[in-house]
Amino acid sequence: MSLDVYYFTEMPYHYIDDELAEQWPSLRLTFPNSYFDPNKATDLFKRYLDEFQYAEEVGFQGLMINEHHNTPSCMDVEVNITGGILARMTSKAKILMLGNMLPTSDNPPRLAEEIAMLDVISGGRIVSGFVRGIGIESWASNTNPIHNRERFEECHDLIIKTWTTPGPFRWEGKHYQYRAVNPWMVPVQKPHPPAWVPGTGSPETVEWAVKHRYTYAAFLTELSRAKELFGSYRDQAAQAGWEAGPDKFAFMICAHVNETDEKAQESGKAFMWRMGHPLKGPREYWAPPGYFSQAGVAANAARRQKPMNQMSYEELQEHNHLVVGSPETVIKKLRHIKEELGIGSLLLETQGGPLSHEDTMRSIKLMGEEVIPALQD
Amino acid sequence: MVAFTEEIVDVGGTKVHTLKGGTGEPLLVLHGAGGNNGWLKSIDALADKYTVYYPSHPGYGESERPDWLETIPDMAAFYTWYLETLGLEGIRAVGFSMGGWIASEIAATCGHSFSKLMLVGSVGIKPNVGEIADLFIISPAQVLDLMFHDPSQAPEYQAVYGREFTPEEMMVAEGNREMAVRLCWKPYMHDARLTSLLARVNIPTRMVWGKNDQIVPVECGEMFNKAIKGSDLVVIDNCGHSPQVEKPDEFIKTALDFLA
Repeated sequence: MSLDVYYFTEMPYHYIDDELAEQWPSLRLTFPNSYFDPNKATDLFKRYLDEFQYAEEVGFQGLMINEHHNTPSCMDVEVNITGGILARMTSKAKILMLGNMLPTSDNPPRLAEEIAMLDVISGGRIVSGFVRGIGIESWASNTNPIHNRERFEECHDLIIKTWTTPGPFRWEGKHYQYRAVNPWMVPVQKPHPPAWVPGTGSPETVEWAVKHRYTYAAFLTELSRAKELFGSYRDQAAQAGWEAGPDKFAFMICAHVNETDEKAQESGKAFMWRMGHPLKGPREYWAPPGYFSQAGVAANAARRQKPMNQMSYEELQEHNHLVVGSPETVIKKLRHIKEELGIGSLLLETQGGPLSHEDTMRSIKLMGEEVIPALQD
Repeated sequence: MVAFTEEIVDVGGTKVHTLKGGTGEPLLVLHGAGGNNGWLKSIDALADKYTVYYPSHPGYGESERPDWLETIPDMAAFYTWYLETLGLEGIRAVGFSMGGWIASEIAATCGHSFSKLMLVGSVGIKPNVGEIADLFIISPAQVLDLMFHDPSQAPEYQAVYGREFTPEEMMVAEGNREMAVRLCWKPYMHDARLTSLLARVNIPTRMVWGKNDQIVPVECGEMFNKAIKGSDLVVIDNCGHSPQVEKPDEFIKTALDFLA
């Protein structure tokens, strides 16, 4: 059974050390942007984009991008910008945008035409992820969290209709109203680019993904919990009269490869930056009132045994949030994950904050030459 | 203590949980964003002179929310229906904080609803100099810290806030917070048209503010006072956002003086 492996980085601005980070309630939302040096960011972007390009060259089947706001942990603030860059600078890899934040968008037809344009430029390589945005994005965009799910669903429905229904048509919804939806740009892929949705465990999201037959991506979740979620998806699909194959399941973790286990364990420590301060902050930042349903609160709590920023380097590896090692070790662990979960796609966050360009490139190379081929049987 | 009953008022199919007690002419009491704290000393004192109607707003506590109700003007429209259902018109009204915003919206848009209006630490107007504290981005415990100037002078503080809450009470509090977010997220706790509309209010109106209100600056009280013809503003010294809980005796005196 084949497995699509995606290269992913949040393109972190990692020049914020622990001592500075600790002076603020969180690196997210309210950490002062006066600490941002745009010139350093120019160099980082150049480097990160080179690494994306190299990932395609060595054999990653896909490149994954995402966006966040008000945080040094993710410099990508607009997946459709980075998607546009990757669409032109690559030629084979799928471009997984996971994704566009629907609830915080005030203009779904604009999103529909942007993604369509990327699909056209890339010759039909876009995988269109739709996301709710973490709680922090509700603050950053000042979008009422109580309407998050409603807006997500209505924005989605309008985008899909924009892609699949010849225009012009009218839309009079609760949150969005348009007189003439009729963007010139429509996608290459028919009826529309594959749609994915990430989940943190909310039962509503699983149900929604099943309803639309979208790929469900579990992010940094305990294997046992991911199995439950995927099982729930399969059961609901079966009840609806269809079988959910591996293409409906994706799993995202951090991964780092070096020549030997010993070397990898040393260089992989760079991921501790990403697992530390960027994940801290007051509860209200992450979960503004109304963002989670009661079921969502319980599901999110069950996602991990304890918060990742309270886990040691060893614990993160024991819980499969971070896979580190020689190619042989990493192959063994990723095979186990593939078999346990029955996934069709594995999303590997391979650039971890202060991980150097040299270490990142070596990791990408070893994955492309040794790990990815070994996961295809 | 005045006896009170719990009643369900059916407003066009929406059930509104209402505390009712006392004798005399009717008085509507509208609670703030946190929810209905029950029959406290200050409510009881009002019920000594008036028949108090103290509902939990739609979407709060045990009251239902009709699907269409999303904003403070929606809430005002709903309450004119509530009053009509109860056959009440031209009555006295007291609004605390967000309840003051609802009451002032009703007074400004439905002139026959109220005969006298008292706004206590009311939101609804954006201050020019200060800011209304953002209660959604901080924890409930931090909100409580901001609410009182000196909790030790609030005789009912322990009974209302200082005890252990049951899981059911925690769920209600979370639900109340979510309803406040629904109503007041953006623009936060104010409506740009309210100041202009308040020029329509032509009933006796009194603003009551704690001098040390850390949530809604006294400046907002001054702005309400300026916007409403013939109103007055009573500022209570050494007092935070909830004079009715922190300084109940002073609150009761100024309330009864005004409402008489």
